[in-house]
Amino acid sequence: MPEAVSYFFMSWANPYLLFLTAAGTFAGIYVGAIPGLSVTMAVSILISFTFKWHVNEALALIAGIYLGGVYGGARSAILLNIPGAPSAIATALDGYPLAKRGEAGTAIGLTTVMSVLGGFLGIAALAIGAPMLSDLALLFAPRDYLLLAIWGILLVGSLSGESLAKGVFAGALGVLIGMVGLDPMTAEGRFTYGSVQLSAGIPYVAAMIGFFGVAEVLVQLHQLGVTPIKQNVRKIVPAWGLVKKYLPLSARTSAIGVCIGALPGAGGDIAALMAYDHAKRTTKDPSRPFGEGAYEGIVAPETANNAAVPGAYIPMLTLGIPGDAVTAVIIGALYIHGMKPGPMLMIETPHLFWFCVGNLVLANIFLLPMGLSGIRIFAKIVETPKAILLPLILVLSAVGTYAIENNPVHVYWMLGFGLLGYFLKMYGFQVGPVILGIILGPLIDASYRRAMISVADTPLDFLAEFFTSPISAILVAALAFTVLSQSRAWSAFMGRLRGAPAH
Amino acid sequence: MTSRKRRLPGELVFVLVALLFALTALWQSYRIAGLASWSSPGAVPMLAALVMVVAAIRIALTASRRPPPAQVPGVTRAAAFAQALLPRAVVAFTLLIVLYMFALDPLGFVVSSFLFLVAGMWVLGSRRLVHNVVVSALSLAAIYVVFQTAFSVVLPGVLGAC
Repeated sequence: MPEAVSYFFMSWANPYLLFLTAAGTFAGIYVGAIPGLSVTMAVSILISFTFKWHVNEALALIAGIYLGGVYGGARSAILLNIPGAPSAIATALDGYPLAKRGEAGTAIGLTTVMSVLGGFLGIAALAIGAPMLSDLALLFAPRDYLLLAIWGILLVGSLSGESLAKGVFAGALGVLIGMVGLDPMTAEGRFTYGSVQLSAGIPYVAAMIGFFGVAEVLVQLHQLGVTPIKQNVRKIVPAWGLVKKYLPLSARTSAIGVCIGALPGAGGDIAALMAYDHAKRTTKDPSRPFGEGAYEGIVAPETANNAAVPGAYIPMLTLGIPGDAVTAVIIGALYIHGMKPGPMLMIETPHLFWFCVGNLVLANIFLLPMGLSGIRIFAKIVETPKAILLPLILVLSAVGTYAIENNPVHVYWMLGFGLLGYFLKMYGFQVGPVILGIILGPLIDASYRRAMISVADTPLDFLAEFFTSPISAILVAALAFTVLSQSRAWSAFMGRLRGAPAH
Repeated sequence: MTSRKRRLPGELVFVLVALLFALTALWQSYRIAGLASWSSPGAVPMLAALVMVVAAIRIALTASRRPPPAQVPGVTRAAAFAQALLPRAVVAFTLLIVLYMFALDPLGFVVSSFLFLVAGMWVLGSRRLVHNVVVSALSLAAIYVVFQTAFSVVLPGVLGAC
């Protein structure tokens, strides 16, 4: 235990890590707030830059960006009615009406305090829940990893996409891309066609930056002309009475946030919408009608989306399965730094877990003063026109891709994946499952073959084990539920849920 | 992407290309180890490719049931595709990226990025040339300093020579 405490405070005591966390949180607020910059994009690009760093330094910076970014989206949602990030869509519904009433300052202050509160509750759930889940994860057999990996890809594909078929296609495409190169078991080439370049595999950081950076930039070229509206902001620090009044609600919506965040594949955006819906259904006497500037309407989504961040860390640190797109990228980073995300992560490297927890707490503390200040400069930066912003993102993407191995070929890969991602996105495919497939593909391959070899290549025995082992049976049920939940009846239910906050 | 009633221009072609790709991948995966064993190196690639084929057929069926994209008289299908998927900004910007990539090695990071930024801002509609030049130079200087010091990233040679 004393060791855990020392790892917990590692980033607090080390001035450099302290600085990185603060810088990450600060930068994250802007990344989240500037429409056109997303946390996933920033984290993918940063992974290539931080690849020579120590893993703790990279994680400190990324945790700050992640937490700050999810919060930052609320600011542009309130001030400009443009959610800076998908997780702030629900916040705009009541945040912007509040700003129009001249209460932008109060709204920003309240969302800041509530985001921090949600973050703390989420971190508490991470600190308590993850070690428990980790003990359970030790009992997992190779076929369970296989099921988990497939479930993770399916969840990302089904919850965020247009149709399950498109999510499945994207996920399988990712798995296939992940297979390119030498087979680790037999050292046989797969899809290498005699090329030395290809036997090293397709550089997945180039793929990430292509899909999340270049493709996103190209999609945004379709909406160049949107200009934001300016707001006046005066008093920001919220009155204590106001905060106290919404504590019970924020506790409930934080719980929603953690649970949704911990579900593989579902992130802050879905958590925020569900929390908004919860607030709308359970608040009998809102400060104003919902949609016209109810305080409840900004408290609920903002606590939930920040609680979802530590929530998403739970499956990432205990099972090696990402909770959302950002944690998928972070898992990629852990691999680059020689870690093996999976059930053994907390046993082999317990310091990593407590470091992450301590680091999230620190970033969350930084969020409070940073969120309550700097609004004036903020408005200026957020109004950066896309004509200036997008070329800059591209230069960073290209340099980041180049920097991994000083190899110009990686930059060509990046552009190739960027163009592919652009068309995929335009035709309603999600790129998240592709990335997840690339990262989880080797795990799926190895787990499947180990499980198959352990039953001496008899497919019937292989299938039977999915139902005779309790853990496998539960995972099979979860998988089946995910597929079934895509049926018409369920999507009508979700449609009502999502349609409700938007009227 | 929200659900929509009509097909996008080129959607059917895209889905068919995806199906063709999946079939090719299936054949190529088969060639890794054939059907020798259930745990061969080719097993997971084949399963993944098979899943892609099935999903692509499903997507193609859904897409084919949707009404075709709205036809505006006098606009060819190619033009409708270009308008929806490849507007001028996307084409011009993509071409610039390609030029930038090829310039990166011979010209070096600073020169090629500077030219790309100035041209990119212009193409995307920021018409204040002096403003663009100043912003490009300042941000490049910032990127250069931050990356060389904080990230110790080796940027492709300053002037291409090194």
